[in-house]
Amino acid sequence: MVGLSLGEQHFIQGGISQDLRCDGRKRLTFRPIHVETGVIPQANGSARVRMGATDVIASVKAELGKPSFLQPNKGKVSIHIDCSSTAEPAFEGRGGDELSSELSNALQSCLLGGKSGEGAGIDLSSLIVIEGKICWDLYIDGLVVSSDGNLLDALGAAIKAALSNTGIPRVQVAVGESSDDQPEVDVSDEEFLQFDTSGIPVIVTLTKVGRHYIVDATSEEESQMSSAISFSVNRQGHICGITKRGGAGMDPSIILDMVSVAKHVSEQLINKLDSEIASAEAEDQE
Amino acid sequence: MEYVSPEGLRLDGRRPMEMRQIRAEIGAVSRADGSAIFEMGNTKVVAAVYGPREVQNRSQQMSDQALIRCEYSMANFSTGDRKRKPKGDRRSTEISLVIRQTMEACIMTHLMPRSQIDIYVQVLQADGGTRSACINAATLALADAGIPMRDLVTSCSAGYLNSIPLLDLNYVEDSAGGPDVTVGILPKLDKVTLLQMDSKLPIDILENVVQLATEGCKAVANYIREILLENTKQLEYRRGV
Repeated sequence: MVGLSLGEQHFIQGGISQDLRCDGRKRLTFRPIHVETGVIPQANGSARVRMGATDVIASVKAELGKPSFLQPNKGKVSIHIDCSSTAEPAFEGRGGDELSSELSNALQSCLLGGKSGEGAGIDLSSLIVIEGKICWDLYIDGLVVSSDGNLLDALGAAIKAALSNTGIPRVQVAVGESSDDQPEVDVSDEEFLQFDTSGIPVIVTLTKVGRHYIVDATSEEESQMSSAISFSVNRQGHICGITKRGGAGMDPSIILDMVSVAKHVSEQLINKLDSEIASAEAEDQE
Repeated sequence: MEYVSPEGLRLDGRRPMEMRQIRAEIGAVSRADGSAIFEMGNTKVVAAVYGPREVQNRSQQMSDQALIRCEYSMANFSTGDRKRKPKGDRRSTEISLVIRQTMEACIMTHLMPRSQIDIYVQVLQADGGTRSACINAATLALADAGIPMRDLVTSCSAGYLNSIPLLDLNYVEDSAGGPDVTVGILPKLDKVTLLQMDSKLPIDILENVVQLATEGCKAVANYIREILLENTKQLEYRRGV
């Protein structure tokens, strides 16, 4: 990205402190969000989310696997993000690896909870087929096609939309001879179970520029930030994960204030996102 | 296995000389200098062009022409089975090289010395013919970026199964083990810039198959011209002409 001159930097900072950003938005207004579902036909579920010039695609693939020893009654989910070089020349070769792993880790902690699997936004026990033997492994892949700031929010929205679009095939288990044998499973091609996504949180990133914070920053605004905190909030208003980026320290009272702002903003975002996903699904069906 | 039924229909219902449906969109990645999405049937690729800009690696700078660089990468979800490594594997490196050499032949590099043009191609869905779709997308993206070229470069593939030459193979037909000929041409100048084939083919059939692929390339070229004309009309309209 071309560097910003001093005049441009002051313009961005001044605009934010006066609640009028470069594209005319207020500090707590999101860019228009466009959601398309079913963009990758060979995946179990997929979605493409566009926020301004930020364009991300998420896909969900389900494969049968064995649950881990420690959690025999839960399925497994893994999230992997890739930053395409089409978004930034700097992502060529291994250049995008750092950002990709940062985004993957942030999304995993926001959506999947801790190591024990507790507190996950996705109900992992619904992925179990036979306890201790067979479960569904969900592989969630995200791709950043075009980047103009706020990647984490866009990816969170895309994953939520992709999971709403996901159909897990119905599995019929043949009763085996002995309990030690691998049971036979018959995976149906016709019937699908829709995933329950009402518990999945959305991610809201608050970017601090000067003394104010903004929501849904463009990459110009992100270049002026001192720090950013991403909150993952679910429909009940519970915080599911917090990630802080950026070097500048923040007063703890500011962080508590940001938490309440994030909760307030996330309500609007959840409603907006749900209606967009519903209309995308309806269009997909036609 | 029967790839062409006795009535003359292929597995997806096409005739042997019929191409898949093509669709293109210019300007998909707004941050890039030029970009395009190109779809051939279920194969979907996005190409972004950054340049001409200053050379990043001084040792590669050329004083009399522009440096063209290309990277081909496949998304994790693009193939039926989940792909582990998006880029850096041998196939991706080879295709990056092929696309770079093909585009280098038609870009007027001598007009932009000491600069670099980056072409990034990302495969979103792979269903056979990704090489051709990437070259077509790159041509549109370069045109969108306003980079001077001698001609468009269009590409199409053709094969030979059940003793019938088939145009524009999809993944199932490609993995059948028959020959897969990829041709890239400069349509106005009527010259071949890319010719690749794998597996074996009798020499007397080769000319037919290459001719068929070339016809496919010309059809793609017509479509690309329409898209570019439509795009230019939109730009004129926005300028108020």
